[in-house]
Amino acid sequence: MPSFARGSIAAALFAVCIVLGCAPSSFAIPAFARKYGLPCSACHEAWPKLNVFGQTFKDNGYQLMNDRDSPIWQNPSYWPVAFRNTPNWHRESVNRVAVDVPAGLAEQKIITHGFDLSGMDVLSGGTLYNNISFLLVPSMENTGEFGLESAWVRFDNLLKSPWVNFKFGKFELDNVISEKRIMNLSNLGGAYQIYHFIPAGDSNAFGQLGDNQLGMEWMGHSKNDRSRLSAALLSSNDGSVNLPNANSYAGFFTASQAFDTGKLGVDRFGAYAMFGQAPTFTLNQLGNPFLAVGNKNFSREGAFGLFYLKKLDFSLFFQHGSDNPYLGLSLASNQPLPAGAQSPTWNGGFVETHYTVNPQLIFIQRDEFIRMSKQALPTLPSSLGDVDAYTFSFRWYPIMFSRAGFAIEPEYSLMRQQGMAPVTGTSLSSSSAFIGFDFDF
Amino acid sequence: MKTVYKPAAILAVLVVVALGLLSTGRHVSAASEGKVTGSIKLEGTAPHMRAIDMSKDPTCSKQHSTPVHLENVVVGSGGSLANVVVYISQGLPASAAAAVPSKPIEWDQKGCMYQPHVAGMDVGQQLKVINSDPTTHNIHPMPQPGGGNIGWNKSQPQGSPPFTTSWKAEEVAIPVKCNIHPWMHGYMVVVKGPYGVSDESGSFSLDNVPPGSYTLTAWHETYGTQTQKVTVTAGKPATVNFTFKAK
Amino acid sequence: MRKRSITWSLLLSAAVVFAFSAACWAQVTQYDEEQRMNMESHIGKLTGHATAGEPLYRRFCIGCHGPIGDGEGENAQWIDPKPRNFTLGIFKCRSTPTGTLPTDEDLYDTIGRGLVNSNMPRWFPLSDQDRADLIAYVKHFSPRFAKEKPGSVLQIPPEPPVTEERVKAGQEVFRHTECWKCHGVTGRANGPSADTLTDDFNRPIKPFNFHDGTRFKCGETDRDLYRIFMTGLDSTPMPSFADNLKPEEAWDLVMYLRSLQPMNTPEKAIAKKLGLKPINPNAAAQPQTK
Repeated sequence: MPSFARGSIAAALFAVCIVLGCAPSSFAIPAFARKYGLPCSACHEAWPKLNVFGQTFKDNGYQLMNDRDSPIWQNPSYWPVAFRNTPNWHRESVNRVAVDVPAGLAEQKIITHGFDLSGMDVLSGGTLYNNISFLLVPSMENTGEFGLESAWVRFDNLLKSPWVNFKFGKFELDNVISEKRIMNLSNLGGAYQIYHFIPAGDSNAFGQLGDNQLGMEWMGHSKNDRSRLSAALLSSNDGSVNLPNANSYAGFFTASQAFDTGKLGVDRFGAYAMFGQAPTFTLNQLGNPFLAVGNKNFSREGAFGLFYLKKLDFSLFFQHGSDNPYLGLSLASNQPLPAGAQSPTWNGGFVETHYTVNPQLIFIQRDEFIRMSKQALPTLPSSLGDVDAYTFSFRWYPIMFSRAGFAIEPEYSLMRQQGMAPVTGTSLSSSSAFIGFDFDF
Repeated sequence: MKTVYKPAAILAVLVVVALGLLSTGRHVSAASEGKVTGSIKLEGTAPHMRAIDMSKDPTCSKQHSTPVHLENVVVGSGGSLANVVVYISQGLPASAAAAVPSKPIEWDQKGCMYQPHVAGMDVGQQLKVINSDPTTHNIHPMPQPGGGNIGWNKSQPQGSPPFTTSWKAEEVAIPVKCNIHPWMHGYMVVVKGPYGVSDESGSFSLDNVPPGSYTLTAWHETYGTQTQKVTVTAGKPATVNFTFKAK
Repeated sequence: MRKRSITWSLLLSAAVVFAFSAACWAQVTQYDEEQRMNMESHIGKLTGHATAGEPLYRRFCIGCHGPIGDGEGENAQWIDPKPRNFTLGIFKCRSTPTGTLPTDEDLYDTIGRGLVNSNMPRWFPLSDQDRADLIAYVKHFSPRFAKEKPGSVLQIPPEPPVTEERVKAGQEVFRHTECWKCHGVTGRANGPSADTLTDDFNRPIKPFNFHDGTRFKCGETDRDLYRIFMTGLDSTPMPSFADNLKPEEAWDLVMYLRSLQPMNTPEKAIAKKLGLKPINPNAAAQPQTK
C-alpha cells in the first residue's frame, strides 16, 4: 500500500472518529413545551424526533401561530433555555487496532468500557418578537471544549406569507430527516454515516450534511407544511468560524411534499442537492495555515422519504456523492494529477424503522450502507471505504409532560468499514453497546 | 268510504267527550285542592344595599330620579323578606308535579334592572323575555353546567319584540346576568309543581296544592334554603312561616 | 352454635348484597364509558372514532385539557384564557344557535384553526383523519353529545357587494345593537362595559379588539364574522344576535366591522371616502330613527 494512502486513511479515520466522537447535539427543547404548555409528545413523535405538528412549529419559526408567540405574552420569569445531557455506560469494541509489538505495528482487538458523559447542550431558542425567531446552542464537549453549535436569527412569514422566511447564522441544513434529532446516542449509532462520509484519502470535510453550516437560508412552506422548499447559501468551511480555511461557497437545496394517507398517517417524499466548492490546500510546507485556495467542486444529491403505517414508520435516505479528483486525492490544485485520477463517487443511504408503541416507548433500528462506485485512483480496491452499519435501540420515557424530558435508552450498534484496518488494510469492524439516561429540562 | 267515516266519527265523538270529562275533572280537583300561604321574615339587621352606579350608561341612569339599590336582600317594613321562592320539594304526586301553568312568566328588563329580580317558574312554563329599555341588553342565564338546563346568551336591542323560551329541568336557581350592564343580575327558580315568591310584605302563596303531606323549601339568594313540613287539607289554606337569620 | 350460624349467614348475605351492588355500579359506569367510547364524528366523508382519538388526545391535548377533559390539565393553571372543559359540552365556535351543541364540522374547524389570543394552536398539520378521531374523543367527554343533537346550522346567504350604503347602514346596526358597549366606538375593545366582563365561570374576559387586525376567534372570513355575532360565543359575554338581525343587516354589520380593522379593505376605503366618524355614544341614547 502506498504510504500516502496509508497516511490518508489514517487521516480519514481520524476525521471519522472526530465526527463520531462529537456528541450529536440534538434538539428537544423543553423551553418550548414550557412556553406553550404542550407535552413533549405534541411536537415529538418521541423526542427528539419531530412529528408533523412539531415540524410545522419549527418551520413557522418556533411559532404556534396563535398570536401568543411573541415573548411579550410570557411571564417575565420565563427563560427560553433548556439543558441536555446524557450520563451513560458504554462499551466499545474494535476488532483491529494498531498496537506496538516488538516487530513494529500489529493489530489487536480492543474493548473499552466504562461510565461516561455526553457533552452538554444549552438549547436556547424561541422568538424575539412575532415572526423573528432565534436559536442559540452553546454546546460543550464532554471534554469541556465549548463552541457554538447553532446561532441564528430567522425572519418568518415575511410579506405575511409562509413562503418567505430567511435565516442567517450557523444552522442545521434543512434535513427533514434530521441528524440533530437522531434517536440514538452511542458512538457508532449516534450519527448517520452518510451524513458525514468522506472517501478514503479524501480531504473534503465540507460536504457533510450532518454538520451545522454558516450561511443564509430561504425557506418556504405551505400553510399546513405539506409542501416545503428551501435553498441555502453556505460558506464552505463546515461551520468553522473566523473564515480560517475557505473563500468558497456551497448551495443546499431541498424540496419535499407530504401526503395525507388517511388512516396510515402523513407521508413525505423529497429530494435534495448540495453543490459547492472546497479549497484543496490550506497549509504551506511549514505547516502554517493560510487562506485556502485552489477551490474544486463537490456535489451531494439524493432523495428521502418518511412513510407511515400507523405506528410503524420508515425513514429512507439516499445519497449520490462526488468530489473533484484533487479533493479525492488530497492534492493541492497546483500539483499535477496522477495518471488515471478521477472523481471519487459513491452511493449510500439508510433505512431507519421506528415502532412508536405510544409517546413513551419507541423502538428504533437502522440499516446503513455506503458503496464506493469509483475510487479516486483506479488502482485502489473498489470496496475501499465501504460502510455497513446496523443499530438497534429503544427509548423509554417514564414521564411525559411539558416541563422536562427524561429517556432511558439502551442501544447496540455495529459497523464494518472495508479496507480500513490500520495495518493490514482489511476490513475494520467495531461495535458499541450503550445505556444512557437522556434528560433535558 | 262509509266504513271509513263511521269509526272516524265515533273516534271524534269519543275525543270530545274525553276532553270534556278531563276538563271538568280538572275543575273538580281544583276546587278540592288546598293552598299554602305564609310570610317570610328576616331576623336581625339587613345588610346595606349599595346604590348602583349606572353612569356608564346614561340611558339607564336617566330613567331613575333616585338611586337604585342592589337587590341581593330586599326587606320590607317589619323585617319582611322579599324574593324568597317557596316550593314543594318532597311529597308531590306525579300528576301535580307534571301540571304546567299556561300563563307565561314575564321577565322584563326595565330601567336596566330585572323585573322581577327573582322569578319562580315551572319546568316547561313559558318564559317571556321583554326589553322595555331604550338600550340593548344581553340576557344570559347560566344554569349549572352538566345539569339538565343549557345556558344561552341572546342580545335584545332596544325595540326588539319579546321572545319566549322555557327551561327543561328543575334548577334552584339559575343566575341571569346582562354582561353589558354588570349590575344587572337576577335568578330564575325552576321547580316542578306549585310555587310562590314572597313580595315586599314577605307574603307568599302556593295555589292548587292537592291535599297531602309535603316538605316545603324556601330559597333565598343570599340566605340559602330552609325546609318545613306541612300538611294540606282540601279547602283550608295551610299557613307556614319562614324566618331567615341575617348573617 | 345456631346463633353463630345466623351471624355468619347474615354477614355472608350482606357481603353478597354489597358485592352485587358494587358489581352493578361498576357495570353501569363501565357500560357508560363503553357507550361513550363508541362516539363517532362525521365530517364530510370522514368518520372519526373515539377509540382512535384517545391516544391522539393523550399525545396532543392532555397537557391543557386534562386526562378527563375537564380543562384542568397540568398546564391549565398557567394559561389564560383557560382551556375548555369538554365535560360541559359548551363551545364558543358554533354554526348552531346559542345554547345548542355545535356540529362535528364546527369542532373540526376549531381544532384546525386554533383559537386566536389563546394557547390553543392550529392543529391542521395533523391528518384529516386524526382530527376527526380527536373530535369523536372530545365529544365522548360530555354526556350532552349522547343525549342531544346539534342545533340547526345557521344559513348564511351569499355576501352582497360592498357599497357605501351598506357600510353606512352597518354603522347604524353597530350603533343600534350597541356592539360598542363592549367593543368600543372604534372597535378597540374599550367600550364602557369592557372592563367589567366576565365569562360563565366568573373569570375576567376581554372583548375582541378589531384594531389588532388579528383573525377572529372563530375564523377569518366575512362569513365567519357573520356567524360569530349571529350565533354568539357560548360561555362568554358575546350574545347571539340571530333573533334581532335580518341577514341584510347582518351583512351590513360585517362590512362596517371590516372598516374598523387596520387592513386595507374595500370597506375601509369606503369609510374613509365617506368620512365616516365613529358613532357618538350619547347619540345612541336617542330612540331609533329608522
